[in-house]
Order: sequence, then C-alpha cells, then structure tokens
Amino acid sequence: MPLPLYYFLTITAVNLLMSWALYLPYRMGHLHFIVVANMAISGYTAAFMVLSLQLPFWLALLAGFLLGALVGYIVALFIGDAPTFAVVIVGFTFIYITRTVIENTSAVGGTMGLFGLPNVGGSPAAHRWTILAILYGLVFLVGFLIHRFDRSQLGRAASAVFIDKDLTASLGIDIKKMGILLQTFSCTLAGGCGVLYGFIYKSFHLDYFTFHVIGILMTVIFVGGYTTLWGTVLAAPVLYGVPLLFPPEIASWRIVIYGALLILVLVLKPEGFITTRFVHTIGSYWSRKRRQPTLPNRRKENL
Amino acid sequence: MEVFIAQVINGLALGSIYVLLVTGFNLLLLVAMIIHFAYPQVVVFSMYIIWLVLGLTGNNLLLGALAGIASSILLNLISAPLFQKVMEKRAEVDINTTMVLSMGIGMIITDVLSHGFNKGHPIAFPETLAGGEAILRVGLISVLPGQVFSLVVGVVAVSSFFLLLYKTRPGRAFRAIAEDPNGARLVGIPLLRTGLESYALSGLLGGIIALLLSVLLGSASPGLGEQVAHKVLAVSIIAGLGNLVGGLVVGLFLGILEAIVQGYISGTWSNVIAFVVMLVIILAKPNGLFGLKL
Repeated sequence: MPLPLYYFLTITAVNLLMSWALYLPYRMGHLHFIVVANMAISGYTAAFMVLSLQLPFWLALLAGFLLGALVGYIVALFIGDAPTFAVVIVGFTFIYITRTVIENTSAVGGTMGLFGLPNVGGSPAAHRWTILAILYGLVFLVGFLIHRFDRSQLGRAASAVFIDKDLTASLGIDIKKMGILLQTFSCTLAGGCGVLYGFIYKSFHLDYFTFHVIGILMTVIFVGGYTTLWGTVLAAPVLYGVPLLFPPEIASWRIVIYGALLILVLVLKPEGFITTRFVHTIGSYWSRKRRQPTLPNRRKENL
Repeated sequence: MEVFIAQVINGLALGSIYVLLVTGFNLLLLVAMIIHFAYPQVVVFSMYIIWLVLGLTGNNLLLGALAGIASSILLNLISAPLFQKVMEKRAEVDINTTMVLSMGIGMIITDVLSHGFNKGHPIAFPETLAGGEAILRVGLISVLPGQVFSLVVGVVAVSSFFLLLYKTRPGRAFRAIAEDPNGARLVGIPLLRTGLESYALSGLLGGIIALLLSVLLGSASPGLGEQVAHKVLAVSIIAGLGNLVGGLVVGLFLGILEAIVQGYISGTWSNVIAFVVMLVIILAKPNGLFGLKL
C-alpha cells in the first residue's frame, strides 16, 4: 500500500473516532475536550510500556483503553452533570497539566518526544495492515454502537438533555449517570486512539496534543453536523483529505480555512451539513426505491 | 520575606491584567450575551499590532498604544455581526454556539499570527518598554518600573471601568440589560446599540490589556492567546460566570498565586500548581465561588 494512502486512511480513522469521542458527550451538550489529554496520557503510557518495559503492543493497547476509561470515569464523577463551560475548562486544564507533566518527565522523552516504537506485525507492511485493521474494526464497532445508541431510549434522553436539562431531570432521567456513561465511553475511545495514533507514526510528540487538534475535531463535528453520527463520517475524510490536494502554500493555511468554514457553517447552517432530517429523507428515499419494483407488478395483478 | 513582597507586587500587576481581561469577557457575556472565548486572542493580536507599529515608528509608544487599542476595538466590532446572527433567534445566552464560533475566530487569529508575523517566531518588545533599572531587587527577583506601571494603569483602568458601570447612565444601561433584557427594552434602552457599545468598550479594555501585557511580559507568541484564554475562562468560572466582583477577587488571587509559586518553584511546574488549584476548585464548585450572574 502506498504510504500517502496509508496515512490518509489511518489519520482519517483516528479523526473520525476522536470526533465520535467528542460527539457522544456533546449529545447532552458537553464539549468534553479532556479526550485530547486522554489521548496523550494513554498514548505515552503505552509507548513507555512497550519501549521501557518491553511489554507487547496488545497489552499496551488494552492498558491505553483501560487508563482512558479510568481517567474519564474519575473526572466524570465530578463533572457528569456540570455546566458546559465547566466541562470545557476542565478539559483545557487537563490538557495543560498533561502537557506540562510530559514536558518535564524525561522517562517519556520530555519535549523531544518518544521515538522508535516497534512494528506491530513484524514487517513494516504487516504493521500497516494490522494498524489499519484495528482502526477500521474500531470504526465499524464504535459506529454501530453509536448508531444503536442514537436510536435507543438513552439516545433520546441525551437529546432531551441537550434541549432542556431541567425538564429532562424533572421527567426522572438521571443526568449525572448519563453524563458519567457518555464521558467514560468517550475517554475510553480516546485512550485507545492515543495508543494507535502513536503506532501509526511509531513516535509521539506533544505538538499534536494542542488546541489545534481540538479545532480540527470541532470543525469535523460542527461542519459535518452534530445531530447525527453520519455528519462526522462525511466530514472527517473530506476535511482531512481536501487540504492534501492543495498546493503547499495554501495547505499551510488549512487551520485558517477550517476556522473560516466553522464560522460560516455556524452562521449559515447551524446544525451542519448532515442533519437528522437529512438522514431521514435519505432513509425514506432508499426504502421507497427498494419498494418501487414491486408496485407495477401489483398493479398488473390488480388489473 | 523580600522575595514574598516582590512577588506579591508582581502578582498584583499580573492579577490586575487578569481582572481587566475577565471584566471585558464578562461585559460581553452579560450585555452581548456571548461567551467570547477568543477575547484573549484579540488581545494578543493587538500586542502584535503594537509590536509592528513600535518597529515602524522607532518605538513611539503612544502610536503603538493607539494602534493596539484601535485594532482591538475593530476586531471586536467586526465579530459583532457574526455573534448577532448566531444569537438572532435566541432569547438567552447560547453558551455552546457562541463559544464554538468564538473558538473559530480564535483559530483564525492564532494561525494568522503564526504565519503572518515574524515568520511565526515569538516577538520581543524593546527592553525600554519595561523600564531601565529595577526599583526593588532581591537576588534574582526584581521589580521593574514597567511592572509598577502595569499595576498602576491596571488599577486605574479597573476602577474607572467599575465607576462607569455603577455610577453612570451607560453603565446602568449595561447592568439593566444584564439583569433583564426584556425589561431594559421596555424602559427604552436600545439593545442593539448598547450591545455594540459593549463590544467597543471591551475592545478598548482589550487594547489597554495588550499594552500592559506587552510591558509586563516583554514578549508574545501566537500560542499566548490560548493560554490566557484558558486562564480567563477559568477565573470567570471560579468566580461565577458573569460575576464582576467575583472576577475582581479571583483575578487578583490567581495573579498573586502564580507570582508567589513562580518565586519559590522554578520552571514550568509553577504553572501546573496554578492549574491544579483551578481544577480542584472547578471540580468542587462548577458554578463558581460567588455564584452565576446569568
């Protein structure tokens, strides 16, 4: 597989999974930026386990998921039902603290970063296919789970919290429990993504875990559409892929382009390009199309 | 003891800047009903404009200050229609939408600063800006005239702003809208004009803050806005969103805490302590110490 295609597919998958990690808590109005810190915490821990403790990749990946879940759960105990702005600031604070701790810890490379992570499947080609298989396996699994969640009672309850938190609470829905569930799941996912992200490049550097990555993920969610998971499915490859086709002098301004696009969409199309209504329209169109061939036969039979 | 006193003076200068930042931020929140997360990025942009004008005019501070204030007001007024459009059909503060919109503005400002000024490298202001000889020197720690200037101007600006808010007619209009927008409209206060005035006033504050930060820090980088934005939001949350008096107390407290920690602990770890204190307070009291005013 050509390297540019490999990087496009893997980074798109990571962006998609991380967008879903932000999308889930946002279903009840929480912008849970702690996921970016979780990526770094789990990723660096896994890299340390593999490089210094000589533990296998699979164990490190599992540890990454579990660590993400643990950090997410502990924080969610405090901010499961907190106001949006408190959740945002907790996320930012975690990112700053995580960055500073990593910068000052020589065991994980400090400001230089960690390099020389081993191939997962032996050869470089096997490594790439293994990482791709894990990432897209995760994409299908998590996509299926979110799809089921969106259609479940819990998903409808999350939408109700988004619209009116007090009314939803008065209907007997435990907002804190739901917040803990969604935040823990999103942090678990982010932990795993952190480990996989490091193994894509076989290195870790703090430059990735900044405000920029939040900007990119938010653009994916808000431009694609935050009311359905399909918005991110469309936006993640397009927003990452299209700037790659630009000449370098324009591509270097891609954050400005993302910012402008984000503002335009918020002003002109606040729910993003793919909305729940749009998905329903497409869904009913397809079901009509599937039923259509039987209609003439029935008419003939009736005649 | 001398170290402690020197750091308290430093902390008061830094704290007065935080207070100004939080006040400008809260003014927009209360009157224009937006969470302008990119407000500190606007301030950093103005610092870059001051640096540019100082370079072009042979360090003419007056022209630099005027250019910084003008750019801050202009940027705030340019963003006003965007926020108004997003808020059009909403009767109350839509925290998510305005915050995300503001983050978009912040992304653009930070990236423009990264690409368009000094090839992305941090900028350094002339040393004469911070003053020459130290007024007080204890070991490695010194209090420069620039720090005292920042403290004095910061205190005067905060006092003037609170006087304007609590003792003048436009100030009463701002507070009336903050308390009850519909009631304010009924008694004849023009919401749109007052809203725009709040953008201009917070822009004016932004320009003053940019000047004070230039004097106090002596340098700036594109990422400075994000770091300050984070602290401003944290201070306003700890104080209670929209709580002006709470912002005054917590802003000063954070400034002093940071300075004292920096006096005794070296390196970037001092920032972590300030962040951990902020985190613990937010986790324990997500609605703030002084209560929300929304």
